[in-house]
Amino acid sequence: MKQVLEGSQAVAEAVRLARVQVISAYPITPQTHIVEFLSDYCATGKMNAKFLRVESEHSCMAALIGAQSTGVRTFTATSGQGLALMHELLHWASGARLPIVMAEVNRALAPGWNIWVDQTDSLAQRDTGWIQFYCEDSQEVIDTTLQAYKLAESVALPVMVVLDAFFLSHTYEPVDLPEQEEADRFLPPYEARFELDTKNPCTFGPLVPPAVYMEMRHDMAAAMDTALTNFARIEDEFEQIFGRRYGAVEAIACDDAEIVFVTSGTVTSTARLVLENLRARGEKLGILKIKLFRPFPFEFIRKALKGAKKVAVIDRNFSFGASGIFAQEVRAALCNAEVHAPVFGYIAGIGGRDVTPEVLEEIYWKTKNNAVPERESVWIGLQEVRHGN
Amino acid sequence: MAQKSQAQLTAENPIHIMPRSTQSTEANKTGSWRYLRPRYEEKTAPCSAACPAGEDIGKIEMLTTQGLFKEAWETILRENPFPGVCGRVCFHPCEGACNRGEFDDAIAIHSIERFLADTAERNDLKPLLERLPSRPEKVAIAGAGPSGLAAAWFLTLLGYTCDVFEASAEAGGILRWGIPLYRLPLTALRREIAQIEAQGVRIHTGRPVTADFLKDLERSYQAVYLACGHARTTALRVPGEEMDGVGDGLKFLEKVRNGEPPPVTGVCAVIGGGNTAVDVARSIVRLGGEALILYRRRRRDMPAFGDEVQMALEEGVKLTELVAPARVEKDGGRYVVTLRQMKVTGEEGGRGRVEPDDDKTIEVVVDRLFKATGAEAAEGWHNPPAADTGTLALSHCTLATRDGRNTLAWGGDLTNDIKSVVHAVASGKQAAIALDTLFREGPDAILPKFDACVVGNGPSLSMEVYMGGERRLRNRHVVSYGEINTDYFRYAPRMTQPRLVREERVRTFTEIDLRVSGNIAMREAERCFNCGLCNQCDNCHLFCPDLSVIHDQSAQGRHINYDYCKGCGLCVVECPRNAMTLEEEIR
Amino acid sequence: MEIELTEREFMYPGHVGCPGCGAAIAMRFVLKALGEKMMMVMPACCWSVIAGPYPTSTLKIPVIHSAFETGGATASGVRAALDMKGDTETTVVTWAGDGGTFDIGFQALSGAVERNEDFIYVCYDNEAYMNTGIQRSSSTPYGAWTTTTPGKDWKKMRKKNIVEALVAHRIPYAATASISHPEDLIRKVQKAKSIKGSRFLHIFASCPTGWKIPSEMAVKIARMAVQTNIFPLYEVEDGLHYTINLKPKRFPVREYFKIQGRFQHLTDQDLEVIQKMVDEDWALLLRKAGEHA
Repeated sequence: MKQVLEGSQAVAEAVRLARVQVISAYPITPQTHIVEFLSDYCATGKMNAKFLRVESEHSCMAALIGAQSTGVRTFTATSGQGLALMHELLHWASGARLPIVMAEVNRALAPGWNIWVDQTDSLAQRDTGWIQFYCEDSQEVIDTTLQAYKLAESVALPVMVVLDAFFLSHTYEPVDLPEQEEADRFLPPYEARFELDTKNPCTFGPLVPPAVYMEMRHDMAAAMDTALTNFARIEDEFEQIFGRRYGAVEAIACDDAEIVFVTSGTVTSTARLVLENLRARGEKLGILKIKLFRPFPFEFIRKALKGAKKVAVIDRNFSFGASGIFAQEVRAALCNAEVHAPVFGYIAGIGGRDVTPEVLEEIYWKTKNNAVPERESVWIGLQEVRHGN
Repeated sequence: MAQKSQAQLTAENPIHIMPRSTQSTEANKTGSWRYLRPRYEEKTAPCSAACPAGEDIGKIEMLTTQGLFKEAWETILRENPFPGVCGRVCFHPCEGACNRGEFDDAIAIHSIERFLADTAERNDLKPLLERLPSRPEKVAIAGAGPSGLAAAWFLTLLGYTCDVFEASAEAGGILRWGIPLYRLPLTALRREIAQIEAQGVRIHTGRPVTADFLKDLERSYQAVYLACGHARTTALRVPGEEMDGVGDGLKFLEKVRNGEPPPVTGVCAVIGGGNTAVDVARSIVRLGGEALILYRRRRRDMPAFGDEVQMALEEGVKLTELVAPARVEKDGGRYVVTLRQMKVTGEEGGRGRVEPDDDKTIEVVVDRLFKATGAEAAEGWHNPPAADTGTLALSHCTLATRDGRNTLAWGGDLTNDIKSVVHAVASGKQAAIALDTLFREGPDAILPKFDACVVGNGPSLSMEVYMGGERRLRNRHVVSYGEINTDYFRYAPRMTQPRLVREERVRTFTEIDLRVSGNIAMREAERCFNCGLCNQCDNCHLFCPDLSVIHDQSAQGRHINYDYCKGCGLCVVECPRNAMTLEEEIR
Repeated sequence: MEIELTEREFMYPGHVGCPGCGAAIAMRFVLKALGEKMMMVMPACCWSVIAGPYPTSTLKIPVIHSAFETGGATASGVRAALDMKGDTETTVVTWAGDGGTFDIGFQALSGAVERNEDFIYVCYDNEAYMNTGIQRSSSTPYGAWTTTTPGKDWKKMRKKNIVEALVAHRIPYAATASISHPEDLIRKVQKAKSIKGSRFLHIFASCPTGWKIPSEMAVKIARMAVQTNIFPLYEVEDGLHYTINLKPKRFPVREYFKIQGRFQHLTDQDLEVIQKMVDEDWALLLRKAGEHA
């Protein structure tokens, strides 16, 4: 059914459609609308779920680990500081092979309180064993959240659905909201592989010596690899019911592109506009949107960038002491390819700074006019700021 | 459709290994950590070691607490055929050694023993006791007093045929002819004598053992046990002693017991400080006379039981301390007794040492006197021979093995330092064990055999141990108060032994101590620490952190699983009664 | 001892607790009192290791080990899931040490209790971070040596009163208990089981290794703590009604301290100060219970 929904509500609706049973959340801007909608659904009976109003994000993830281990489908949402606080337990959720799904609203990290979009928070968690999807618009958010449960449960790993602060979370867009019956056809009730059960007692998370820990981690690694192929199959099923698919990556006009932008999140939407514009002026630009970040779709990326002469990665994040994170990952993907183009890394939109078409154009020309990258990362739009001393 | 595809996906993506445990830790045998090893080991309670008969008192109290009165009574009978007698007349050295005495008050072991005998009587119980197979040897016993009867009892349990020869008309010795009825009623005594006979002992009354009869006995019996007692009162050796008015304390008691009490109106003096003197004095009061005890030392030095002295004084008996008779003179119908005054010049063996206080004397005028300063064997040949080769002098009996002839043994008051009923029982037991060993293995085996069945540090012996009973597994170590974990006990007052009030006592010879109910007896027995014995409190099982104390069907009721026991020692410390031992683990 | 206790065991031998481990005794009692319809949340503590390594477990009931801070939160999640599955019989129990309760786990505990989550939180208290090698916690008593309060830096802060902190939340049921008083402990566990909402049990679980006492003294030392009023046995219902379960004869604290290696450095003056503190706390407790010294 077509509706105009705020991005946050789109998340909440998807959670409702997924028939989540236990929700736990701690409020943090700009995630708050998500949890407020869900609170309301639980209170009015629109959703049959328990809502745990825990006292911190760390407790939030702990509660979900407890609930999921007891055999129910769970959900939470957080952002920025909250995600950072959860860090220890993100590792725990994946190591415990729990298919928890979380909506993560990309927000800048303090100090300097900054509630606006920045990808550093979610990318800083890229090692935690969570599958990560970066969404471009509200429709994608709804679809990806539903798919996330199916994918998570298929490989027994948790999934993070990432959306930009305010640009996605607080923007109203028309979306096609699935009916409950359709969602049920796509996503069956949760059947836990293992759970806390008095009839069949076991102990989760005991001491694990070196002799077997490595094997457990390897099993997780293998599951991550499988997630990649499972995702394609899940998208097949989704497309059959709903008529939509996204792909782990989306290559736009890459076949004959000389320069390919690598983007993620809402920047992709802006990039599409700039693509149209530049192509109309005869520039051979392509866009590679990365949706699935973990597991990193090495093959898809290598394939999409095979023909490019230059690659320009736009990172709305930074790994201090290194470079933008998408750039690092793309460089790593291309390193062992037979031939690959130089990768230009650009840092833009940090801490909510707007990534306008002009910013993307600047990036295009910088890329075109330099044979090789002048340095690992080029920060776009830096200003001289003087306030007091 | 969704379910099927999800199930398929899940099946295609199994988790091979994750942090999830499904096995127990039982394969980890933590017993290998141990360097100290606990085990169940019962030890000796101080009361049982202090009891000359070696009664298994801790066990008796435990069984009483559990309401197993018959079993408790039988436990006594294994070591002493006279619970009803001793429960009335014994001076209970057990209570003096009782560890509970250091906590609050000693257990009223004496009252409980009597209760058990009373219960057996009331229900006409017949004991079921272990007996060894019949032996060919026969033993003759001279004297049916406590020592002779005890010897007969034990020898019968050991398989021997016993004949007891008693001079007087009825068996019992001092129990029948000495101790007054208000301490020991006739029914109680007769029941226990009948019980001895029921085991197969033959008692022949009116058959005194003369020197000649002894020679006959020597021919027909492989051993003769002489337990004739001290039937003759020692002389005062003062002028006037032979006069009519100067009576023999023992004979007086005998006449009273025979139903022919001599007239004792007026003032009667009793010379002496032992139980006989007190018995005489208290009997006089009941017969309407006034009694005056004249004793050469102080009240606290009197060998008579403290309780008895106390009751005597309450009943109106008067006591003059530190006086010794010098002479007796007749004065009309009365007698003047001149007494030398004594003074205490020091302490000796727990009693005061006295000597005449210059030449000070006092005189008392009385209607008659009774001598009760001590007793000795009625015939000189009753006494055991001096120690020499061929004579074995044990703590409570003497044995003389003679080549080519039968064995003679002596016991009871004839051999014992302390002249009491329970010591007499100890003599009977020693003689029985000595003779049994002699018959089976020869004289050299006697001392080692004694060693093997001694209780605590001795000299008390246990017949149950000698006969191979469970008690033999106990460690001889006597449990001290410091070894009791008193955290598990609450202060609880000792029971009060109900008694006739003074006014009622002095009118009759009715028994003074009254019966107690099962309720009171059990409650009192529950106060017992059961030193060194396992009373199944289960603390060990309760507190073991390693689940290594396992309940089972064995007599102990539990065992230690040494596969897992880490030797922490908690069970040993939390055992309130030191019934466990922690020792070095030997690998 | 007269206790009605099931013969069944809910744990296996072969666990790796130190000899004389008070925490193992406490676990055994609590399991017996609660029975098999229970699930246990176990944040990091000695028992995380005692329970044995993969693929084994000492415990026969379902257990989820969890991160150090999360005792209260993980249990909230387990409870919510059970409720969603319609299971009204299974008791959710958090089993945590003093570290995971008084310090790093306090937030989650407070949060869960404030929400009146329906679970039993059991803190077995060995008065330091024992699992990591005897470092001080806010439960370590005044006067104690630990590896982080060594020498002259012995702990000069009082032991945090966790029960009172939770009483301030108006928790439906909070009680202290000791491994030395099993009947009292088991009665309280069974009483807690019958109450809905948050319930807290503070169990005194001595640690021979950390307190430097012989292993065989573990129960006795716990008893002495009760007998000296250092660890009083009491219950509080609805954060209002105090019941003091035992009024011991008030043995002086001196002997309790002298026996333990972790208190060897204390002088007579220190012990006098401590005696005053104990007497003060006891008088305060009596007042709360509406009684007088």
